[in-house]
Amino acid sequence: MGRRKSFQSFKRKYAWVFFIAPAVVVLLGIVIFPLIFSLTLSLHEWNIIRAGGWTWSGLENYATILFLDPYFRTALKVTFLYLLGTVPLQFALGLMVALILYRITRKIIGFLRTSLVFPSIMTPIVVGIIWRLMYNPDMGMLNYFLKLLHLPPLNWTGSPLTALPSVMMADIWEWTPFMALILLAGLQALPQEPFEAALVDGASQAQVLRYITLPLLSPVMIVAILIRLMDSFKTFDLIFVLTEGGPGMSTEILNYYTYKYGFKFFHMGYASALSWLLVVIVTVIAMILIKTIRSRGIYAAGG
Amino acid sequence: MGFTTGKIKKIIFVVVTVIVFSIILFPPIFLFLTSIKTELDALSFPPKWIFIPTVKNYVQIFKTSSFLRYIVNSLIVASTNTFVSLALGSLAAYGLARYKFRGSENLSFWILSIRMMPPVAAIIPIYIIMKKLRILDTPWCLVMIYLTFNLPFIVWMMKGFFEDVPREIEESALIDGCSEFDVFLKIALPLVAPGLAATAILVFIFSWNEFLFALILTGTRATTLPVGIILYMKETGINWGYMTAGGILALIPVVIFTMLVQKHLVKGLTLGALK
Repeated sequence: MGRRKSFQSFKRKYAWVFFIAPAVVVLLGIVIFPLIFSLTLSLHEWNIIRAGGWTWSGLENYATILFLDPYFRTALKVTFLYLLGTVPLQFALGLMVALILYRITRKIIGFLRTSLVFPSIMTPIVVGIIWRLMYNPDMGMLNYFLKLLHLPPLNWTGSPLTALPSVMMADIWEWTPFMALILLAGLQALPQEPFEAALVDGASQAQVLRYITLPLLSPVMIVAILIRLMDSFKTFDLIFVLTEGGPGMSTEILNYYTYKYGFKFFHMGYASALSWLLVVIVTVIAMILIKTIRSRGIYAAGG
Repeated sequence: MGFTTGKIKKIIFVVVTVIVFSIILFPPIFLFLTSIKTELDALSFPPKWIFIPTVKNYVQIFKTSSFLRYIVNSLIVASTNTFVSLALGSLAAYGLARYKFRGSENLSFWILSIRMMPPVAAIIPIYIIMKKLRILDTPWCLVMIYLTFNLPFIVWMMKGFFEDVPREIEESALIDGCSEFDVFLKIALPLVAPGLAATAILVFIFSWNEFLFALILTGTRATTLPVGIILYMKETGINWGYMTAGGILALIPVVIFTMLVQKHLVKGLTLGALK
């Protein structure tokens, strides 16, 4: 009996292993193993379509990327331009929209919230198609609007000067509502007492915004910005449909450059090294994000 | 005086709201309008606002292209993946929510961090491995690979739902002699059923929408919807009728499902960072 009991308590103590093991094993197999595989590959030279196996090259791929590859530098520059041109704008516009919607108490708010959801949950490829249609130089809506304003038509995604801003504009359309939605949820979960107190003290609207709303909302703002920042590095679908990285390299962010090296040029070793640089960048942001989530429970109104 | 400034403010407020939502809603509406135009109407400039709508594109896309097969492939991949990741994910989520062991919190966050990895990093080794295993261009390679982002997502979402359930009921069932697994299956899981349904729907949408893995891992047989639609974009020109009709058809399940899970979207889209 005593033995049975100790077996029972042993079973109880380690029951978690049974629950967690399948998922952890699967993740090790499909994520960690491939990542180690690609780390190894990144230390080799290997072109998948040419005959011949892997050739050990040590850190050569990384050295080439960091010190010799001028295209990498261009891709890096495009990536940062892309981030700078989208995330801050999405945040500012999203905050504005959230502050407006926060005041709407009528029934229409349900409809408005639903509309906010769609751009970010829509099939990204379809978002790309929508904007390809809008930007079409011959029949597109945007050139029609320009015509109405008596402005000359633009070759939106087709010219090196306007291609990047065009992709950014589509990105801003896709993700600003997401920012607004999160910030609105954050606003709705704020405690009411500080606002009531400010009202009693006769604070102006601008003061309330500056000294109460924004500071209280800051954890949600940080999370929203970090998520967007991290996901922006991974933008692929939109660029694929709108420009395929071109014209030239004008819209080729690091993510797309890596894809091209792997699946257009088939330099798997070099592409693996590039992808590991991306992993490092994204991991740093992910760590900051996780630390933020861990340090404090961040609340937002879901319903 | 105060009355009028208040009124002006209100008008500005309404105008801004209308402009913002027109910008959000107009592009998809334009997609829909183009999809019900004849080729001649679709290509006319300035765009035609008044035209005779046609369902020709919607009929033709099924008749003359493999669109139906793309849909079937997408359905197979998305539903199988949802099922597998829910089975694995809710088990793990329950384990992490109910048992506190050394490193349990670190393990949770490690799983979350996997969700954040750039897919392009995984795709290179995965492609090589699957090529070696000769399972490229099958729905099963996508079912498997979509676990990389859906499994961590489910673990993280469901962990939150399990933690919200008071554990007293489960504890009394354990004392009554139920096994741990029975408690999970017969008591805990039914209690989080609404959350489970919402998570399942989001996971389905993620699989349905996925493009990069599908582009690289499928060839001609297992082509999913997003990759299939792109095929109407050729060097020789874009078949706008098919592209727009295909796009609208791809959006239909997403729109319906989104309506159903409104309540959990903020949590879902932020990976549970916001509760």
